[in-house]
This record gives sequence, structure tokens and C-alpha cells, in this order.
Amino acid sequence: MTHTIFRRFLQALAVLLGVALLLFIMLRIVPGNPVATMMGEHANQETIDRMTAELGLDQPIHIQFFRYIGDAFRGEFGTSYSLKRPVSQLMGAAFGNTLKLALAASLFAWILGIVCGVLAAVRKDGIPDRLFMGFSLLGVSMPVFMVAMLLQYLFAYHLHWLPISGTDSWKGYILPAVALGWNSAGSIARLVRSTLLDILQEDYIDTARAKGLGQIRVILRHGLRNTMLPVITMMAIQFSGLLSGAVITETIFSINGIGRLAVQAISGRDIPLLQGTTLFSTLVVILGNFLADSLYTVLDPRIRKEK
Amino acid sequence: MRKITVLLTVLALVLALCAPAAYAEEEGLLTTAVLYDITTMDAAHTTDNYLVPMNVFDRLFETRLVDGTGQVVNSLCADFSVSEDGLTYDFTLRDGIVFSNGSALTASDVQFTFERLLTIADQNTDIPLEVVGGEAMMKGEAKSLEGFNVKDDTHFSITLNAPNAGFLAELSAPAMSIVDAETMGAQFGVEPADTIGTGPYAVTEWVVNDHYTLEYNPRYWGEAPSVRKLIVRVIPDANTQNLMFQNGELDLIDLASLDSAIVESTYKVNYPDQIVSTPMVGVVYLSMNENQAFLKDVQVRKAIGAAIDSDTIISSIYNGNAVREQGIIPTGVWGHNSELKSFTYDPDAARKILQDAGYQDGSISFELSMDSSADSNIQLVYQFISQQLKAVGINATVKTYDHASWLALRNAGEMDSFVARWGMDYNDPANIMYTFFGNAQNSAIRSQNYPDTEIMARVAAASAIIDDAEREAEYQALEKKIICEDAAWVPMFTTLHLYCIGNRVQSFTPQWAGFTDFYAADVTLK
Repeated sequence: MTHTIFRRFLQALAVLLGVALLLFIMLRIVPGNPVATMMGEHANQETIDRMTAELGLDQPIHIQFFRYIGDAFRGEFGTSYSLKRPVSQLMGAAFGNTLKLALAASLFAWILGIVCGVLAAVRKDGIPDRLFMGFSLLGVSMPVFMVAMLLQYLFAYHLHWLPISGTDSWKGYILPAVALGWNSAGSIARLVRSTLLDILQEDYIDTARAKGLGQIRVILRHGLRNTMLPVITMMAIQFSGLLSGAVITETIFSINGIGRLAVQAISGRDIPLLQGTTLFSTLVVILGNFLADSLYTVLDPRIRKEK
Repeated sequence: MRKITVLLTVLALVLALCAPAAYAEEEGLLTTAVLYDITTMDAAHTTDNYLVPMNVFDRLFETRLVDGTGQVVNSLCADFSVSEDGLTYDFTLRDGIVFSNGSALTASDVQFTFERLLTIADQNTDIPLEVVGGEAMMKGEAKSLEGFNVKDDTHFSITLNAPNAGFLAELSAPAMSIVDAETMGAQFGVEPADTIGTGPYAVTEWVVNDHYTLEYNPRYWGEAPSVRKLIVRVIPDANTQNLMFQNGELDLIDLASLDSAIVESTYKVNYPDQIVSTPMVGVVYLSMNENQAFLKDVQVRKAIGAAIDSDTIISSIYNGNAVREQGIIPTGVWGHNSELKSFTYDPDAARKILQDAGYQDGSISFELSMDSSADSNIQLVYQFISQQLKAVGINATVKTYDHASWLALRNAGEMDSFVARWGMDYNDPANIMYTFFGNAQNSAIRSQNYPDTEIMARVAAASAIIDDAEREAEYQALEKKIICEDAAWVPMFTTLHLYCIGNRVQSFTPQWAGFTDFYAADVTLK
């Protein structure tokens, strides 16, 4: 087990270094002078040159790279060019909002997806199956911005039940969570349904029924538990994806999250902010995958034994 | 099925319980929204984040609308006189003015403001550089500004390198916001507590990418404003802003943020009496690079000018919410020439110009470079121009760049052509004439590469003409040469800046400016 964790740690480190290197190269290849962008319309060349030197961007490329890697490993991403604040401070504030949004969206998606998937499988070809699968198809096919705008119009603007935007209270997270989780719920429901349908054909399900177990126990204990293996993998990957930012939802509902911060960094060529948000997102995806693998091991004793 | 119905009913009940209380209507509160957050509160570090500088700081002078025209009026300056040679200005500050933290305003603060701009040498050095010793101080060769002489706490003089008839107007630019030398904090412009001014408001909170709050400064020297608290929310989605205004969550909305179709179909229909407007003092123009293979030919540029139908752009894309501009100096700016006729839409004439110059149909091609952050109307203008040029046999292909790439290409002087808008910072022709045609460097970083050095020297010298009539005549002659003879630019229009006020607002008179920010004190609440 220790060996596995160590191997995974090294893999994660290699991925992080790879991303850091790619990011560094790409930021120097793409057109757009970060200093000129930061200084705006009125800056003359002298001022741009002076600021370039102050920021160390005139240093040889290898020195810039090693300094950047060294700082990144200490969790130091410098000061944002555009916002003049430490990147860690900006990311800290944004990540708090993104985390709350991702948790709320995931909870919504998991509960709705699993419940609908199970009901659809149990009542295969019945009304619940057609209804939920119809909804899940909508969930999978409707773009997030469309769901978000519909929800915003109906529940906030028309019915006045929830705020149109902002996260001043927990109510502000409901609509973005539903908009963001809607798509995931659809995928989870379809996966749960198809996996559960396969499992319900297995011999051990017949055995459980022959032993006199009730329908609910058979489904929850023997069916759903085995269904969850691929579902958890999907849930973990979706969750880490949500943690790395949901630009559209954050924009429509005016949530200051990691996604918006990253877009701001890209358009402003804010190198420290872009490096910070990108490396952070990479780390979150790596951790999400690691979590999925670990849960897989916990849930499936066969994998534990194989290892 | 019954269970599902019950479940849905319960869900609906829970949501109903979530219903927010009636929107809080705090007395004296004005809530508005912006699409993008400010990046700084320090006027020295910005050329567009002006809302905080305008409301939290004062300048020696302000440009305000007086009888419908932009006039330079005294602000912190009580009185001034100019020497006969136009080089030295003597100023007297108003008595008894204090910053919002209680620190007294003195002439040394004004000196510090000028010197700070040169010391940090960021973006707004043009104006203090006009003062004797400005160049030396910016280069680090002098520790103080030679031409700035503090006589006592309220009296000082400024000596310029050369006469500048627009100097007082320049002092009203947001960049010239007066800061406190004694108590300026290290995080000035970043932290509200450190960002202290003499204006009617003080910043009390700034949550990046979320909102910032300005509250009435009880030490303000002027008349107390009706708005006691201003919350500016960062709402990056225009449709969300639209719904919030209609829901009563915003008291003031800048309609420039919204698609013009929504403005026409919703605001002009549902809120016709709540719309207030002012011309954006500036000009939307087509820039043409005179280093480009085809655009270097004046006949091609003249044909382009004749091929663009600005009036149709105004009526179809802007639904009439714009004003035609024929020259460089925009409507509402001192020196504007309302008689100037530059380009008239005439596609037949455009074709003939090209034929006479020996160009075959389709033989001219260049790129129209578009900044992806341009608003939806400007994006339509690009498509419209491309189609109109195609109609006269010119292939102008629209290519989109992200903002940083666009700026890099333009600053390198290698952009073929683009559409952009220049908003006036202060009421003097030099603000636009010098910026675009004042010297080769200014022209190059805007990818114009205007080659006539003699004309550029005259533009640079025009600000030193003291006689108003002579100066106006010179600017207008230069404008005529640059636009009508050289066709270096195609001036098109300026937009009307529309706002819609909510039910809690009694009145709002937008100020004279080329930028979008406003004075909260111009709003009167019911």
C-alpha cells in the first residue's frame, strides 16, 4: 500500500512538473506582452521596458523557469500583475466559493442522479424510467448556460424565490448548484440505470431474492453497492472538474470563483495569476483521480486483494 | 407516480420558504453593477478604472456640464492666475479642506501628487512631465519637481516647459486626483483603509470580483450628496444585470452593458421615462496602417472612407443611439468643428477611386483585427464594414484576437486595420490629437504609422498656442489635413451613453466624459 501511494505521489509530481513546464513555455510562445497589457493604453515603450525589468521578465528564460518552479513548490505564486495582490490570497478567496459551489452541485447531482437511476432501473420501461431518462437526456444535452438562464428566469426573476446572483447567503448557491449539477446528474442517472440493470441480471441477485430478501434490500445492498464502482469514479472525476472552476456558471451567477479568476488571468496575460490557477486546477484533478482510485479500492475487496 | 407528485410538491414548498425577504431598501443606498471589476483604486495606475478616483478623490479642477457644454470648473482650487507668457500658474487652494481621515489638505499634497506620478513612472506621466524638471525627476536625476513651488499651505505655483492652453483642463483628468502625502498607506489603491481622498465618499470595502462599497465622507467640504452609500456589484453577465434591474435589485444600470436589442425591446418600451443619456465624448474610428501594402495608398484609404456607411451603422446597429462624427475632435470637446465634412457614403465613388488608381476588383486585401473583448455592437460594426468594403471590391477579412494578443500586435505597429473608440479624459483637443498624431511613436503604437512628420510637429506645437481662436483654427486645419486630405483615419460616430434609473432614484444627470464611470453625487434619491 505504501509502495502504491509513493508511486502515485511520484506520478502526480511528474504530471505537475509537466504541466508547469508546458504552461511556462506556452505563456512565452503565445503573442501578447503581459507588461504592455497590464500597463494599458497610455504606456510608452520606456515604461514597458522598465516594468519588464522590475518583474524579472527580462531575465534569461532558464532563470525565470527555475525561479518559478522554486516559488511554486513553496506555494508562492507572486503578486498578480493586474490586481496587485498576492495570488495565493486571490485564489484562497475564489477557491472557497468554488468549493462551496462544487460541493452543492455534486450533492445535488449525486442524490438526484442515483435516485433517478435506481428508480428508472427498477421500473424499467415504466413511467418513472421514461420520465427520468427523458430528464437525464435533457440534463446531458442542455448546455449549462441555458439551464442556468432558465432557472434564473423562472425561480429568481419570475417567482422571486431565490436570488438572481451573488452568494451573500446559502440561498445564492441553490440555482448555480442545480445548473451546474444538472448535467452531472443526467450522466450519473444513465450510468446508474445501465449498470444496475446489468447487475440485476446477475445470479447473486437471484440468490439474494431466493433467500427471501425484500426488493429494497436486494437493490440497495446487493445491487446498488456493486453499481457504485464505476459511478464513484465518474463522481470523483466530475467533482475534481467542478473544483477546478466552472466559468459559465460562475459568470452567470456572479460568483467569484477559480474559473473566473483563470479567465481573467488569461485575457490579461497575468502570468502569476495564470500559473497559480492552472497549477492549482491540475493539483485538484490529480487529487480527484487519486481519491477515486482510493475509493475504488475501499469499495471493491477484489482490488484490495489483487494489490 | 403519486410519490413523485408529493416529492415535487415538497420541493416546491422548500423553495417557496427560501423566498427572500423584500429587497432591502436602506435609506441613501444606491446599488449599481459593472461587468468587470476595477483592478486598482489608484488613479496613478490606471487609465480606465475611474469610479473610485472620481468619487473618493478631488482634483484641482473638474470638467462638468454647464449649460449643456463641458466646462472646466474650480474644485480644490479656489483661485488661480496665469503669467503673461503662459508658463507660470499661481494657485490658491480652498481653505479648511481635510481628507476623509482628518488629515489637512495642503499645497504639499498637490506637489506630492505630481511628484508621485513621476516617481512611480507608470501610465499617467504626461501631465507632470510638462512641468519644469519633470523629465529629470522621472529619470531619477532630481529629487523634487523644480517647476513646482510651494509658497505656504494653500498657495503654490507651477511653471511649465512650454505654454499649454489646455493645462487647466488636463488638471481635471482623473489621473490628477490629489492624494495625501502625510498619511498615504503602503497599500494605497489596494486596501480601502489606505485609500484616502477628499471627495464626497470613502471606500469602505472591496471584495475582488464581487463588489465594492463607497460611503459618504462626513468631512467632505462640498454639499452633502443624496446618495450616502454606493454599492457597486461586479456582475459579469449582462443578462443577469438586466434581470437584477428589472427585479429592483439595482437602482441604476448602465445600458451600454446590454445588447442594444434588449435596450430597444425592454427598456425603451417598459422604462421610457427612466432612461437618461449623454453623449460619450469620444469617437469610434477605423484605423489604417500606412505601412501596409495597400493602405499606404491614400486613394485606397479615401475609397475605404467612401465605402463605409456610418449613418446605417448608427441606425441599424445602434438603433439611433449614436451621433455621426466627421473629424478627430469629437462633439462636445472644445475645438470641435461641426462644419467639417470628411467622408460621405458613396460606394460608386469608392469603386471609381480604386479603378482610377489602377486597382482591379478584389485585388486589395487586408485584415480587420478585432479584439475579442469588444462589445457585441462593435463586433457587428466589424462585420458590417467588412461587407461594405467587399461591395466595392476590397477584401477586408475580420480576424479575432484575444485582448493581449490584439494589443501586442497593435503596439508593434503591425496591425493592418481595426475599429476602436477613444474616450476623452479631459476637454481639450490635445487629448486626442496629440495621442494619435503628436509624434511618430504615438502613431506607431497605434499601428497607424502616419508618415507626415511636419504635421505631427504642428500637432505637438498646437497646445502651446495661447490665443484660443488661433489655437482652435490650427487644430481644425490639422484635422482637415489629416482626415480630408490624408484620409489617415475614418471617423465614424460616437455613442450615446444610456442609463436607466430605478424606482428609488429621483434624478440622475450623467457628467461630461469619454469614460463610463459616474459621480454618485449626480444621483438624487427619492
